Amino acid sequence: MTGPPTVREIMATFLARDIEDGEEIFVGTNLPVIRAAALLAHLHHGPSMRVMLAHTRTNLYHAPVMEHFELLADWRAARWAEGYFNDNDIVMYQKSRRDSVFFVGALQVDPHGNTNLIGLGTDPRRLRLRGPGAIATTTNASHVRRFYIFLNEHSPRVFVPRCDWISTVGWGDGGPDARRKLGLPGGGPRYCITPLAVLDFEDDSKRLRLRSVHPGVAVDEVRRQTGFDLVMPDHVPTTALPGPDELAILRTRVDPQGLLRG
Amino acid sequence: MGDHASDVLSPGVPARRSVLVAEPELGDWFRDGMTIALGGLATACHAMVAVRHIVRRGLRDLTVIGSAVGGLDVDLLVGAGCVRKVICPYVGAEALASIGPFYRAAAERGEIEVWECDEGQYYTGLQAAAQMLPFLPCRGGVGTSFPELNPDLKPFRDPVRGETLLAVPAITPDVAILHAAQSDVHGNVQFVGTGYADRLLWRAAERTLVQVERIVSNEEIRRAPERTALLAAGVLRAPYGAHPFSSPGFYLEDRAHIAELVAAGRAWARDRDRQPFEAYLARYVHGAPTHLDYLEAIGLRRLLGLDEWGA
Repeated sequence: MTGPPTVREIMATFLARDIEDGEEIFVGTNLPVIRAAALLAHLHHGPSMRVMLAHTRTNLYHAPVMEHFELLADWRAARWAEGYFNDNDIVMYQKSRRDSVFFVGALQVDPHGNTNLIGLGTDPRRLRLRGPGAIATTTNASHVRRFYIFLNEHSPRVFVPRCDWISTVGWGDGGPDARRKLGLPGGGPRYCITPLAVLDFEDDSKRLRLRSVHPGVAVDEVRRQTGFDLVMPDHVPTTALPGPDELAILRTRVDPQGLLRG
Repeated sequence: MGDHASDVLSPGVPARRSVLVAEPELGDWFRDGMTIALGGLATACHAMVAVRHIVRRGLRDLTVIGSAVGGLDVDLLVGAGCVRKVICPYVGAEALASIGPFYRAAAERGEIEVWECDEGQYYTGLQAAAQMLPFLPCRGGVGTSFPELNPDLKPFRDPVRGETLLAVPAITPDVAILHAAQSDVHGNVQFVGTGYADRLLWRAAERTLVQVERIVSNEEIRRAPERTALLAAGVLRAPYGAHPFSSPGFYLEDRAHIAELVAAGRAWARDRDRQPFEAYLARYVHGAPTHLDYLEAIGLRRLLGLDEWGA
């Protein structure tokens, strides 16, 4: 369990530090970095977080090791649960999303953080690539306190000047009042996390801005791999590394199987 | 009162009706062009005896309402050519198949229509059906491409506060087919676990057929009436009837079998090679005309190896 932190451990730590105690968070399946971030925040500084694991609300603060949990519909998650809910009772409780942080994946992201999970191509009856579908992202991202755009790929085919379709609104046409004008109560996207960098949104334009690069990544590489001009600050720091306490929690309690180190 | 009271106390009054459905009677429940809702969620609790019946019959032009996280039950029906339109926000099996291969291929080739929606819009439409309303409003989707992708989702100005919202039309299944833990012969259905969103599908549907792992006595139901989730119009006894998907309290998903189905789908999607899927259907659907034939084709060792806690 030694060795320098991996990129995925760095991404998980960045996210975990941004999650506050008391917030509601959904631990999805098949998303190891997001799972690790949520559980690291819970164990490191969030004993009163509302951790939504599959269809349960759990508190794992005193559990020594978090077993990996793979399938959303597996009712065995209830063995850790304090509450266990119907799917529609969770999705249709928008009021609870005021305390939620949420994650959105994407086939495409535009400069204002609007995202596409529908597919690629302009004819809706004959998409060139049919995506998985929006799942609950559209409604949740309208309502949650804030969300994060989480990407496993940082390339010009993901970061595009214009999405073929928008399934989740980020900052719309831009500007700090873009979401208010649409009547969307949630706080919108705060960061976009990729395997190369962390991006945030410039305050006035709400355009994507480079915030930090992960260790060993050059600013020029991020520029080359983004299909539009990012707002560039004068100085781009390196994404902070996990501290020894965070790395210990990750490696011994959250991810002993090493999904983030593979 | 009790099941038999009328026989004894009210001579001449018929006894309480049983809603048990025998497998050969499944044919009465389905016809071409119907709108059919499939219960369960993702890799759990799909009514596979009924789904395989539909495939075996070769029904056509169905509108299929998958669960909110639609599983490969939808994919099997699409692959078999039964489906004209799919209504649900996702089709796949998470880590076992991030998207249903038949669904993806048929959508990309224009062979099926996808009624684009997210989970919020999907549940809003089902709730409208349950309330017998023409539509209900939804905020999720405002500012997105959904009204363009799905013209049934209509932006409108809310007359109370003046907001722009989406009107989601009622989504009304002709039949919902669900899989649950147990029922009595009168259709009092109880789940192990929460039943995902099956109660809402039942409330939205004109009729609901529920497969159950076991039929229990009415007295057993009345031991814990708070567990009764819904009243089914038809109940089919179907032990292991969600296979290859999981059934909470009874068995896990059969990953090897799911992989076989996914591989057949990918051969068709990638190479237009239909042979693996035809072999799958020959073995598990057409070559297994009843549920017992199907269970024998899967085999006792495999089935009993899917135990939730002790395998």
